Amino acid sequence: MSITVCHLYPDLLNLYGDRGNVISFVQRCRWRGLDVQVREINLDNPVKFEEYDFLFIGGGSDREQSLIAADLGARVDSLRAAVEDGLVVLAICGGYQLLGRFYRTPEGKEIAGLGLLDFYTEAGNRRLIGNVAVEAEIGGRKTILVGFENHGGKTFLNGLKPLGRVLFGNGNNGMDGLEGARYKNVFCSYLHGPLLPKNPVLTDYLIALALQRKGIGTELSPLDDSIEERANKAMVKRLLG
Amino acid sequence: MSLRLILAVLAAKLVMHISRLLGKGRGSSLPGMLALRICPDLLGHFENQPRTATIMVTGTNGKTTTNNMLAGILEREGYQVVANREGANLITGVATAFIRSSSILGRVRCDYAVLEVDEAAFTGVTKWIKPRLVVIINFFRDQLDRYGELDTTIKNVLAAVKQLPDSTVLILNADDPLVARLARESGYHSKFYGVRPVQELSGNVAYSREAKFCPFCGHALEYNIYLYSQLGDYKCTQCDFARPQPDIEAESVTTGVGGTTAFLNDDKNKWQLNLPVRGMHNLYNALAAFTAAYLLGVKPETAVAGLETYTPATGRMESFRYGSKQVVLVLVKNPTGFNQALSGLLTGEVEQDVMIAINDNAADGRDISWLWDVDFEILTRTPEKFKRFICSGQRAEDMALRLKYAGVSPTIIEIENDFSRAVDSALNGESGAVSVLVTYTALWPVEKILSRRAERMKQSVDYSVPSVS
Ligand SMILES: [Zn+2]
Repeated sequence: MSITVCHLYPDLLNLYGDRGNVISFVQRCRWRGLDVQVREINLDNPVKFEEYDFLFIGGGSDREQSLIAADLGARVDSLRAAVEDGLVVLAICGGYQLLGRFYRTPEGKEIAGLGLLDFYTEAGNRRLIGNVAVEAEIGGRKTILVGFENHGGKTFLNGLKPLGRVLFGNGNNGMDGLEGARYKNVFCSYLHGPLLPKNPVLTDYLIALALQRKGIGTELSPLDDSIEERANKAMVKRLLG
Repeated sequence: MSLRLILAVLAAKLVMHISRLLGKGRGSSLPGMLALRICPDLLGHFENQPRTATIMVTGTNGKTTTNNMLAGILEREGYQVVANREGANLITGVATAFIRSSSILGRVRCDYAVLEVDEAAFTGVTKWIKPRLVVIINFFRDQLDRYGELDTTIKNVLAAVKQLPDSTVLILNADDPLVARLARESGYHSKFYGVRPVQELSGNVAYSREAKFCPFCGHALEYNIYLYSQLGDYKCTQCDFARPQPDIEAESVTTGVGGTTAFLNDDKNKWQLNLPVRGMHNLYNALAAFTAAYLLGVKPETAVAGLETYTPATGRMESFRYGSKQVVLVLVKNPTGFNQALSGLLTGEVEQDVMIAINDNAADGRDISWLWDVDFEILTRTPEKFKRFICSGQRAEDMALRLKYAGVSPTIIEIENDFSRAVDSALNGESGAVSVLVTYTALWPVEKILSRRAERMKQSVDYSVPSVS
């Protein structure tokens, strides 16, 4: 038995240390003796989403983003079926935007997204950049997620569940106090940092969900997270005092 | 000659003098900043003063080293050279370099101006000073880079180049597609340098690669060999864009602890080079400097001799001695430079304590996610070489976390935010050598602490670690 991770477009979407999310997921499985395989899927590589337990998609620059939208658009039915079936997904920044209905340019043109989740993004007039702290409830546990955001688009949820509430920083749009989005086992966020290493509660929850979907007991053995907690707390303290 | 110019030069020289008296900082940009405020067209007065030519070096990593190598070669040939040697590469640093060599009336006596110019400052500086040669060494993404900013940087450099006289010659790194493309895009006469792509040199650092697509047709670039980062032997899968055949090519390259050896080949002759600093990136810096000197008509033998006596600029890589221990201080500022510094650590022969200080001030980059693009995983290949990792600075905890996830045992990772205590811990460890890797705003405070505790070595030693600029 092994957990299979799909890292989508690592050649194109690797801004801001996003691969740290995959490293974190994989290491926390391995430290518990769970076998993990990572497959990197790039443009035109065949992919069967139903074969995976965890899918990660990061952010890229505009040009890369549009290449990917086209490539992923051609595979959207299989991805949608996997998502509806409970595939665990983490989408960051540009990858997050891609899953929504559309992106509205400053000229008012709407570029279609994959439409997997019911939200939309519009171009903002300034980039939202800086450290972020978000209060979130992950698997019934209240936790403070920390990260760094850097995005030009402002995302608005149509009643979709957010990942959490912004305690410091901008989040989805700098206006409604929400950050990220959740739908079934899909988790979206603007937080780089990367997100998972300093927020092990979330990482472990993603692992647990992936195991649960495979029909395997979800009790994860505890790890020594003292460095993780120290790193998380140092940022929480800096931002919130 | 204007009164403003004289006032500007006087004021700048006064500031230089005072900062020297106070022993403060290096005073390499403040005087120029003041002078430019008094006389905004200051650089225009200097433009035509170098008797022979002005050469500019731009790109991401290795500008300072390349520039100092070229200045050293020209001086060895007997020329008088004005250069901004301390890595002050904005318009203020360029102004300071001229003022330092000028009389009070703003007269500079020199044959060449050899100027390192930041990619982002290139447009502003070339507005005033037209170089005869422009050396473009590489383009890597900096940690400060935002979405697509590297593209913008390249476009800006290209636009500025196109404003230069038609007689300008470009010296380009053939192995970096982001640089080599500028020959065709600008239409200027271009000379190329590169390293012969042979399998033995193939790097294994897989991340932080930038060039994925052909700049001309948008199709994927295919690599025969990667040397490091996106440097290598590439060609477009669709059109005829490919690594150009270099005019000066390094071959039979060997790199070791003692340095780097290679033959430099101009298609007719070969010169053996024993470079006292190690690493492929330093070979590239030397190649760039050699090619520029070659085009300026310097005897190749002199150029080689100049490179062989090269000593790294202070602040980029410094050596100290603490008791019997060798202590090396290195600046790291982006994934490519950090990867090079790490491969330097691996060639060390004695077990070492490693201190890494990460700050996140504006000059370091507020976002430190780039640490996850650095291949710390290579440190776990030779665990016997590392006694402890002491993480320091504002983001010490993040650095510790990165090491943990790279596979370094948490039992040998220490977190000590305070520089002073971190340095003490590193110096007083049990191992025989200490390496200190720091981001930009950690450099001066850590250097200051080290120079109080340990003895500064004047000469570079064979244990040289890559310099980054
Ligand atoms: Zn092409």
